[in-house]
Amino acid sequence: MKIWQRCLLAMFAIVAVLGGVAYAQAPGAPPVEFPYTGNRTAVWIVAQLHILFAGFILGAPIFVVISEWLGYRKQDPRYDRLAKEVTKVTVILYSMTALTGGLFIFVLLATYPQFTTWLINHFFLIFAVIYPLLFIGETIILYMYFYTWDAWKGEKKGRHIALGVLLNLIGTITLFVIDGPTSFMNTPVRAEGVSPAEFLASASLWDKVFNYSWMPLNLHRLVGNVTFGGFIAGLIAAYMFMGAKKDEERAYYDWMGFVGNMIGVGALLFLPFMGYLLSYELCDYDASICPYMMADQLSMFFEMQGAMVGLIFLASNYYIWLSMKRIEGVERVRMTVIAPMVMVLLPIVMTKVLTDYPVPDATSLAFLLPLLLAPVILGRFIPLTVSSSTVIKVGFLMVVVGNAIWMTPHGFVPTGAKLVAELELPSDWNFLALMPAKNSAAFTLIFVTVVNYVIYNRAVSQGTIVWGKIDFASQFVLVFLAFSAIWTMGLMGAVRSLLRKYFHTYNLLPDFTAESFTPTLSYSAWWITGITVIFYAVVSFAILVTLRPTDSKGHAHEGSPVPAGAK
Amino acid sequence: MGNVIKKSIVGIVVGGILFGATNALGFPFVFQALFFGYAMLGAIVFIILDLPTLKPFGGVKAVGALIVFYSILSVTFIAVGSMWPQYDPEDEKGKIDKILKPKREQYEAGKVDVLLQRAKALDEKAKELTARLQALGAAQAPADQKAGGGAAPSATTAAASGDLAKLGEEQWQLQECYNCHKLNGEGGKKRGPELDNIGNLLTAEEIAKKILDPKSYKAEGFEKEFEKGKMPDKYKDLMEPGDVQALAGWLAGYKNASVNTPKPIKMK
Repeated sequence: MKIWQRCLLAMFAIVAVLGGVAYAQAPGAPPVEFPYTGNRTAVWIVAQLHILFAGFILGAPIFVVISEWLGYRKQDPRYDRLAKEVTKVTVILYSMTALTGGLFIFVLLATYPQFTTWLINHFFLIFAVIYPLLFIGETIILYMYFYTWDAWKGEKKGRHIALGVLLNLIGTITLFVIDGPTSFMNTPVRAEGVSPAEFLASASLWDKVFNYSWMPLNLHRLVGNVTFGGFIAGLIAAYMFMGAKKDEERAYYDWMGFVGNMIGVGALLFLPFMGYLLSYELCDYDASICPYMMADQLSMFFEMQGAMVGLIFLASNYYIWLSMKRIEGVERVRMTVIAPMVMVLLPIVMTKVLTDYPVPDATSLAFLLPLLLAPVILGRFIPLTVSSSTVIKVGFLMVVVGNAIWMTPHGFVPTGAKLVAELELPSDWNFLALMPAKNSAAFTLIFVTVVNYVIYNRAVSQGTIVWGKIDFASQFVLVFLAFSAIWTMGLMGAVRSLLRKYFHTYNLLPDFTAESFTPTLSYSAWWITGITVIFYAVVSFAILVTLRPTDSKGHAHEGSPVPAGAK
Repeated sequence: MGNVIKKSIVGIVVGGILFGATNALGFPFVFQALFFGYAMLGAIVFIILDLPTLKPFGGVKAVGALIVFYSILSVTFIAVGSMWPQYDPEDEKGKIDKILKPKREQYEAGKVDVLLQRAKALDEKAKELTARLQALGAAQAPADQKAGGGAAPSATTAAASGDLAKLGEEQWQLQECYNCHKLNGEGGKKRGPELDNIGNLLTAEEIAKKILDPKSYKAEGFEKEFEKGKMPDKYKDLMEPGDVQALAGWLAGYKNASVNTPKPIKMK
């Protein structure tokens, strides 16, 4: 996309914001009624799209800089190319972030003018000064980072990497700043014995920003954005692999897909813990949020989350399985028999231990650490080994078992009020629906994935990778991972917003409109899918327009000078 | 094909064993079916693992394959989301309406107040203009200026009418107290104490005090929950005084001595 096109988009975003502000300030202006979707869903669509674009442009630069640094350090041009290609897509999606951000404010002001102005008044310094300055700063640094790529090579590379680090620093601060008002809507400041409205009147801006769920949300989004960026890098690689005409291109994009998936999965391993921390803080803020999430209106959203997380883990491990197939000599790779044994024992032992010593009781570690370290320690003394494919297959079995435990509900009802014996787990087996079992299930998925990566690394060190010869099905796995990750982000974003129940700002500012109720999971699934498809269409377009033309001309530019007159 | 048939048979056999075992263990049918489904999912996973290698293809074929793939994913995700039991928003709408009614009335009254203030300001301006016109010797301005509007509609609370016990029970449901407290054998009892015998331990006024200020009483055996502030300190803002009285009065009527309601300890 040309600079004038980006400027045009940015201009449109600014006009949308200013128009929205002007509209909201008009005395007595009634809220707009969005046809078909309704106001709440209209806000939902633009907010979710904005967050998806923003998530990518904040997440991708984190591993872009790491990749650039790895390329510099290892003198491996593939890392630098990966970083530059992802940055190209990031630049174009940056414009989309600005556009959807402007649209978001416009729709919010048009549909909920009083609430929006109320929120802006409470965070005036952020909305009017800090956030715009950070956004402008980030824009300047991003474009500088992109346009100095070729100029700052060789000795100047360190300077370019430093610019990338600065970009990430500003990006992270931007995320943390805007998370202030977002988390405030879920967990506004409060003090014992004082009404929220009274306390709010005397609260400083820092009090409002540093609320209960602010830091957990920051961490959750930070890790989530890296996961998301990694999977989108995998998607870029999959598209380019499918379109590649030469073996060397296929080899490169095969490698890029593997790296993208590894980043995505690597960050994904931390996500369940970050999600747990966020929900723990939310429940700690108000105990009635917990049953609303886990036992009542939103309980089936968490069933869906379990299904999605299970599918993502199955797909990422399947990708490793397919990656192993392209390693020559993989059949020689073996692993201690204790590893698959621990995989099988883990959900059972962990459920028992965490039931007896619930989190955060550290006693549980006394039992779990020896179990987890058994393959490393005991494996040295017990010579019995099994093939890598056996370990991975046992791993798949345990991913299915772990997912089954994760998805087993206390009752097959959308709310505890409708629970009857015919739909409820027998009391002796109710532990399957409790947190120790769910944590064990999540940890089993993580443990299996880690073991699979250990085997993969062992296979790489003992054999030879034939890049570009991966099973073509793997590209669909990469596409699936990106699609599922985005869908899950949409689902959990909806959950976080719905936790405010019938309030714009929880317990503080009620939403008196007719739309302040919990929508059904089915309705939500329709819109989440729609949003995901729109996002995907834009990202796919961005990948094609930014990378395809460069790909066809790239070699003439960068690598192979052609003598004048040569034909 | 042989691989698919073999794995499918294994899946069906394992699923059948799980179905039978869960049936013998007293699991309801829906869980038996769920476990059978998990076994089939396992079979599908193992079928996919041993599928033959897919040869690369590109161009229009790849674009077509991607569109089909996205369509399948979209339909599947919507279908899976729609398969789970769905919460009926109608169940909640009535509840929310009742909870927000007093606040909405206050809000509307606030709006009327704003209109009244504007009308008063206009009236002042009109008077000022009339005075200036009179001073200039112009025609006499209308003397009769009405401030307009009556008094703001008084906020009506649900407690003003109807049976107190019925209102108390309604508040129990509206505020979802059952999520943390067990009563009449229903509801949770892990986060908060069972309340069937609370009438023998606290008076209605004391119960109301506990609702409005959760730190005023601590239930024996719930020290951790008390320290963590598990009972939300929000009802004084969310509930009308009449609603609190109704709920407290209704709870004070529970005097079932056979239930071991923990002893409340006065803290404030």
